[in-house]
Amino acid sequence: MNVFFQALISGILIGGVYALIGIGLTIIFGVMRVINFAHGDLLMLGMYLTYFLFTLLHIDPFVSIIITIPLMFLFGGLLQKIIINRALNALPQNQILLTIGMGLVMSNSIMLAFTSDYKILSTTYSSSSVTLLGISISEPLAVSFVITSGITTALYWFLYRTDTGQAIRATAQDREAAQLMGINVKRMSIIAFGIGSALAATAGALISPTYYIYPQVGSIFTLKAFVITVLGGMGSIFGATLGGVLIGMTESIGGAYLGSGWKDVIVFILFLLVLLFKPSGLLGTSKD
Amino acid sequence: MKRYVALIMTLLLVIPAVALAGTVKLGFINSITGKEAPIGENLSNGVTLAIEDLKKKGIDVDLITEDDTGKPDKSLAAFEKLATRDNVTGIVGPYTSATANADAKVAERYKVPLIVPAASKEEITRQGFKWTYRVSGTTGDYAGVLFDLATTLGKPKTIAILNENTDFGVSGAKSAETIAAQKGIKVVFEESYSAGSPDYRSTLAKVKAANPDLVFMVSYAADAILLMRQSREIGLTPMAFLGAGAGFSVAQFAQEKDISQGVFSSTQWTEDAPWAGSKEWYQRYVKQFGKPPTYHAACAYESMMIMGQAAVAAGGDREKTREALHTGKWNGILGEVRFQDYNGYQNQRKAVMLVEQVQNGHHETVWPLSDAAKKPIWPFPGWSK
Repeated sequence: MNVFFQALISGILIGGVYALIGIGLTIIFGVMRVINFAHGDLLMLGMYLTYFLFTLLHIDPFVSIIITIPLMFLFGGLLQKIIINRALNALPQNQILLTIGMGLVMSNSIMLAFTSDYKILSTTYSSSSVTLLGISISEPLAVSFVITSGITTALYWFLYRTDTGQAIRATAQDREAAQLMGINVKRMSIIAFGIGSALAATAGALISPTYYIYPQVGSIFTLKAFVITVLGGMGSIFGATLGGVLIGMTESIGGAYLGSGWKDVIVFILFLLVLLFKPSGLLGTSKD
Repeated sequence: MKRYVALIMTLLLVIPAVALAGTVKLGFINSITGKEAPIGENLSNGVTLAIEDLKKKGIDVDLITEDDTGKPDKSLAAFEKLATRDNVTGIVGPYTSATANADAKVAERYKVPLIVPAASKEEITRQGFKWTYRVSGTTGDYAGVLFDLATTLGKPKTIAILNENTDFGVSGAKSAETIAAQKGIKVVFEESYSAGSPDYRSTLAKVKAANPDLVFMVSYAADAILLMRQSREIGLTPMAFLGAGAGFSVAQFAQEKDISQGVFSSTQWTEDAPWAGSKEWYQRYVKQFGKPPTYHAACAYESMMIMGQAAVAAGGDREKTREALHTGKWNGILGEVRFQDYNGYQNQRKAVMLVEQVQNGHHETVWPLSDAAKKPIWPFPGWSK
């Protein structure tokens, strides 16, 4: 029983970070209908940023997101303005190639600059935990879960309560109608990609103290983000949140009862089942 | 007149051959980039030193280096390029078990002598291959020496085996299982995991629930650190943590004092190894590359030394080089190296293994006791607060 709760808790905690990755991808998809295959690489950039802020300037990884978020927001916005906006009306396969290409440029530039060596970010709390009723809870994961929840709440507030947020959602619902209503959809796209990048980078920053960092690390998370968003329903923010936590739990509990080598198999079986019975995802509405 | 022409022609043919006697073209395949690159770097540096030393012996090696990024398909392509386009006499490499196992098969097809420096999967030299020679010890050797240490220092009754689901990991787990059965130690938990997952906590919680005396792990680079970090979180405290080389042997692991203190790791070579020149070689390596070598560096060095000498002695002929490898005997920093057939192995060096333990952020040789630089800490001292 202890094993079950242990698996459940760590699954939910890691799921929070997954959710953050998924939300970023789903916002970008919702607004632009572009699947961002460079998402994991944006996360990787966030990790490197966190690593160097920590080793060079001694800023704690959890504090450094204050710097990482605006920086990566600007970077994402710039990418959208300079590169992706040009391809918005292109064929979907060309958009996919474009984002894959962007990801390759990012990971290989990092490899050229910092070699493919693993970077390990060691904080004093990297392996600390508190024990609660016989279950150990990883301190860094718990903190990152709190931060994730905070950021997700703030994001919901932004999207549902502010004018810009509503404009973004309007663009996501119907690009042309939004444009007719006087919404600057190009600007909304820039903001959306900026938010998406910032969220990916934040997720990268949050797992840095407990994970390791290398230039190709993004590919693991691109695939995960993709599964999470499709599972939750492409474009649905609540769906991505749910999908993230669900994948985290499935991995963890599946790992505990069927063996950790089977983790990915279980996740993809779940993924296929959802696609089979609800092709638009758990909370998705099928359109175009 | 005809005779003179023939004579001159013969001379022309012979002269360059004589002048080139000290030059040989060799290939080197390694994980220079990609996930295994941190260990690959050790192999590259080892080979660099070997090329220098071969030069001192009057052997000029025209070395062609290929990067396989740790992937078997890339490694095969690299091997084929070296064998057919570059026409090398022999090849040293590649690093990982998965790539080496793939390359061993094409070595048969292209009839190119291959020396595997550091891959330890048992099957690599158990397939009746004629062209593959292995300097590296096997996963059986890795596990065996750790069990020797554990059963001498304590009386463990149970063991948990946790391995990466790669060629190396699976072979390591299988070896450990076999030896555990021989020593009468019960395997209470066995599982393979896929590398790169950020969360092993549920698996480790199960290990903890099984309450084993020994925890044996087979992992590459960074996963070793991740597994130990999460073991600390979970509060897993067996009699001893045993690591099968690879990820547990790199300096980066040792530097993580909070999680590495007291962890044992099997190795094929250390600076304290009983073979002549080990200490000097260690110092030379540190001076040249600014960091301490792992056993991979020493194995790659020795492999290239052997290949260089064998290839030159054979005049650059592949078949003759193979014969030279088959019958030859070398003495270097790994002690005496001979390729033998035993226990179902072909062309396999009988490796003499050592064990290191992380003590205060450094790998210290603790086994065999006759070569130990420090006394082993037994049992596991528990996690630092």
